Amino acid sequence: MDQAPPAAVSEAFTFFTPSPLESPAGQVATDMQSLRDGIAACSEASLFQHVTRMPVRFPHAKDVPENDFARWAGDQMQMPEVSERLAFVGSGSSASFDELREALLGVLDRVQPRERKREAPEGGSFYFIEAHSVLAPLGVDARTPAEVIEVWPWIDLGSAFYHLVEAPLYGTSEHALIPWLREHGGKTMADSAEQVVRSSRPLNILLKEVGSRWRRSMIGRRLIERAEAPELERQREARAAMARLAGRLRGRGNKG
Amino acid sequence: MTVARDPSTAYVAALGGAPVAPAVPQGGWLERYEHLVGARTLRALEALARKLKGHRIVMVNTTKTGGGVAEILHRVVVILNELGIQTSWEVMEGDEQFFGVTKKMHNALHGHTQPLTEEDREVYHERTRIEANRLALDGDLILIHDPQPAFLIEHRREPGQHWVWRCHIDLSRRDESYWDFLKPAVARYDTAIFSHIEFVPPLTVPAALVPPSIDPFAEKNRDMSEEEVETICERLGLDATSPWITQISRFDRIKDPVGVLEAFKLVRTRRPSHLILAGGSASDDPEGAEVLAEVRENAKGVKDVTILELPPQSDIEINAIQRASTVVLQKSLREGFALTVSEALWKRRAVVASAVGGIPLQVLHERTGLLVRSIEGTAFQTIRFLDNPELRRDLGVEGHVHVRDNFLHTREVRDYLAVFARLLG
Repeated sequence: MDQAPPAAVSEAFTFFTPSPLESPAGQVATDMQSLRDGIAACSEASLFQHVTRMPVRFPHAKDVPENDFARWAGDQMQMPEVSERLAFVGSGSSASFDELREALLGVLDRVQPRERKREAPEGGSFYFIEAHSVLAPLGVDARTPAEVIEVWPWIDLGSAFYHLVEAPLYGTSEHALIPWLREHGGKTMADSAEQVVRSSRPLNILLKEVGSRWRRSMIGRRLIERAEAPELERQREARAAMARLAGRLRGRGNKG
Repeated sequence: MTVARDPSTAYVAALGGAPVAPAVPQGGWLERYEHLVGARTLRALEALARKLKGHRIVMVNTTKTGGGVAEILHRVVVILNELGIQTSWEVMEGDEQFFGVTKKMHNALHGHTQPLTEEDREVYHERTRIEANRLALDGDLILIHDPQPAFLIEHRREPGQHWVWRCHIDLSRRDESYWDFLKPAVARYDTAIFSHIEFVPPLTVPAALVPPSIDPFAEKNRDMSEEEVETICERLGLDATSPWITQISRFDRIKDPVGVLEAFKLVRTRRPSHLILAGGSASDDPEGAEVLAEVRENAKGVKDVTILELPPQSDIEINAIQRASTVVLQKSLREGFALTVSEALWKRRAVVASAVGGIPLQVLHERTGLLVRSIEGTAFQTIRFLDNPELRRDLGVEGHVHVRDNFLHTREVRDYLAVFARLLG
């Protein structure tokens, strides 16, 4: 953290966990033309499901699969180039829905006219789905950026994704964590979270990375606080830390 | 900072007054799941469940045992109660005549048509009337499973109640006349839930998609030691001298057992291997018997092929055969959700499967398994797996993780909670 938080932070950040409620969106693609038309007409909730939600649908995968449109173009339509292009334009998780839709359509507009009407194999149609998150308070809140670091291990992957990606994308600003951190003196934390979230790494690794960067960012501040603390308190804390370390070493010894 | 945990959501089963009382292991099911999916995932479930505190859910189906729906309810009802949501399970009863009609209806909705007579309709409605008077449908939310009890809503819906219809069957090739019969009842529900988007018929009510899920603790999926696997396979007389390629499916043309055999013949010309085609007994299924005879005919003179007719309740045997297999196939021409694929992936098996129905949701090509569209493709991808233990291991691990994240009962419970929360708010 770069600066001390304001003395009195009135509004705490409340964490919510989202459950995706999936439903048919209405569009069905049987060839590249109808995929294009479907993307042009589908709801934001559908773009969210097929592109943006990929990391949270595969949170522990070794690497996050390409978005559903790209996968369909590759697996069912056997069009690897189009698949690659769709995968690329769908991989910027922070793009707005309008930008995303425009980029996807841009790729599909470049498909040769004779290829656009080539039909998918039987049983290979693409059905558009929408996902709407049903939110529930997780029962976890933080009053300062430092508390966010403390509660981070309690936050499930869906919740972290919601507060870092989904809420900002839908403009639910009161649930967006990064702006809240900035407003509450956690600019460095906000910057590092923003940087990590842009990565295409799997969600579980990404969130561990966010947590460890935040903890590291606290080291300097904690050192300053300790240096300013009375001698007796520092000695007491040092003894407690030594006891914890000894306990850990004993634990390791027992295991060995 | 607040990190709340509602003490009443301790993982203790609290089944109250349910006519069907599913078995609960010591410590509860959620505690067992915690080891698989992690504490944070369960805390998220608890959070969603807190939104539904004080509401009562009633599940209704037509059988206590046997069949996938009863299996799921045995777990889901307990888990919901462990989460602090009072959930009971009512079983609609019927006589032979009624179940004869519902069997016909089930088959017709799957695409195998027999006409629904006026008498059939009368039998169905009469039984519904009797059961509507008997069943305890006094919850805030009534979740009706499948078509058999669908018309209860006409007799028992009370003001303020929410009714949800959960259709577990694939309606994509439905006989429209049966659907026309069912449609007026479905139109009275608040929401209809389907396992896969391709199964959703035109509706006048909102639809939700809740894929099915597997029970990792069931006999069919539980962990097994190598010794146990060996013992069971020896008992079945299966030879372990060369790698096994296995398809476990009923003997049905849409599962393409003959295509599997053809693919195996291609594999066998290049690599030593052994094909196991295992499926339920075809003795009471004329079409199945015909397909089985066709498979046997095609297998004549082909070395290293075992065709196994498994009796009902062969879950342990299926588990052992899958675990002993080097490659598991699901070379269907058409599929419903094909949860057998998730069962194989859960066991970290190398899976080669057709890109039809619900399979592409489970098999992500080159990530959790290999998708195919032809006999040659099946042979090619099977040989890739046979030759490459690293590929088998890597995709097997990813497949297991994918099933853990998306196809265990805890995910299905979460989806139900989302539907309930949307309705009960």
